[in-house]
Amino acid sequence: MDIAAHQRKLLGLIRSTYQAGDSDDAYIQRVATSKDLEEAQRNIFLWRIYVLERTARLTFNLLKRRNLLEAALSSFIERHNISPFRETQAPAFLEEMSSHSDGLIAAVAQFELALSKVREGDMGRYAVQWNVEPHGILNSLAKDLPLEEDAPEGIYQILVSYDLPHQFRIVTLLPEVH
Amino acid sequence: MLHEMAIDRRSVEGGARSQVALGATYEGRDPSLLECMLPLVDYIEVTLETIAEVKDGKIALSEEVMEEIRDIGDAAQIIVHGVGLSIGSHEGWSPTYLDLLDDFTEQVDVAWHSEHLGYTKVDGEHLGIMLAMPKTEEALTMVCERVNAIQDRYRMPFLLENIVHVIPDFPGDYNDAGFLNALTERTGCGLILDVYNLECDAHNHGFDVQAFLQELNKECVRELHVACGVEHNGFLLDVHSQLTRSSTVALAQQVVRQSPNAEVVIYEFMPEAVPGLGYDAIAAQLARLRDAFTG
Repeated sequence: MDIAAHQRKLLGLIRSTYQAGDSDDAYIQRVATSKDLEEAQRNIFLWRIYVLERTARLTFNLLKRRNLLEAALSSFIERHNISPFRETQAPAFLEEMSSHSDGLIAAVAQFELALSKVREGDMGRYAVQWNVEPHGILNSLAKDLPLEEDAPEGIYQILVSYDLPHQFRIVTLLPEVH
Repeated sequence: MLHEMAIDRRSVEGGARSQVALGATYEGRDPSLLECMLPLVDYIEVTLETIAEVKDGKIALSEEVMEEIRDIGDAAQIIVHGVGLSIGSHEGWSPTYLDLLDDFTEQVDVAWHSEHLGYTKVDGEHLGIMLAMPKTEEALTMVCERVNAIQDRYRMPFLLENIVHVIPDFPGDYNDAGFLNALTERTGCGLILDVYNLECDAHNHGFDVQAFLQELNKECVRELHVACGVEHNGFLLDVHSQLTRSSTVALAQQVVRQSPNAEVVIYEFMPEAVPGLGYDAIAAQLARLRDAFTG
């Protein structure tokens, strides 16, 4: 038995990047079709849920409210080399969500990522554009409450910097558009 | 010897010992939790990966958490339990983990350190979960060489833990007990027996726990873990999110009675579970375990 080949195939099965075929030994074929493999993947999913619920709370809650959490997390797990060092997981996840096709998810993730950087000592200044009024949204996400149905639209910016009170400030560039 | 440290905590009745010390995991940044646990435990188990943070692009121990751990002082002994060494990866272990361990042991007196007998990465790609070693002669030789190297590097006891089998077992040269017996015999390392993992294996794969315990050289067992997760689709998952079940405690008591060198039972729970469990429930859990194991 070749340990390297054995481990590479199991990695591929766990990450869904390898399809077992006729040329694989009986063990790899057995794992590939086992319910255990599905549950192992579910287990990975649950561990990520536990960590990100704590470390990327705003974005996590928004994805949950929009029923997009499972899809976003599955894609993240499949595409990223997730370190066992827990504190590295949220920045990687927030980076990924910062380019989400849903503009609000992207804005919340960009804000949360910038805020976490600044709170860990980053001296940079960040500006995140929003097209809805952020106060109500952020309040709901922080408390894991339902989002307001009709958040006022407009052009807003959240500035994030170490020298601001609470490390951020919301600026209205263009108030509610009717 | 490890067991000399806790010998005064034990009682021996008719040759069967039922008392060991109690410990709990602590992953930092929750001083109220630590305050509620310290009067109830003899050991605090620290997992370096969870007290690490990224500093200037490099993974390093959190100064904030290190200060908390140093402040524990004589209130509890510290043991280190890793999850990221990946001692079974074909390409070698994680040097980042050992860098953290070097740093930690320079700052804190550690009673012993431990890892899981498995691997979490392949060619630098993280599995996101820990897989058990194939129990072949080739894998055994590879792991033994690494255990010996670790024991040479750190002049303190090193223990390896049985992990849960999340996928079907590879038909190797040894069964589970035989592999652990050969490993401890060849290297002199100790064992952590995670009894919740044994229960998961029994539930998920029909693993015969009693036959395993019958065959295992239990003189090498120095530490036990108890925990509890959730059941999903009929599978018992190894997520440390719940209070222990009575069956887990009963099995741990059996192992303690049969393991003459067992030192401590550790209750493992992850920090994410704390808000749901609550401090009071965790303290009550530790008090129950204290009654069950320390007399």
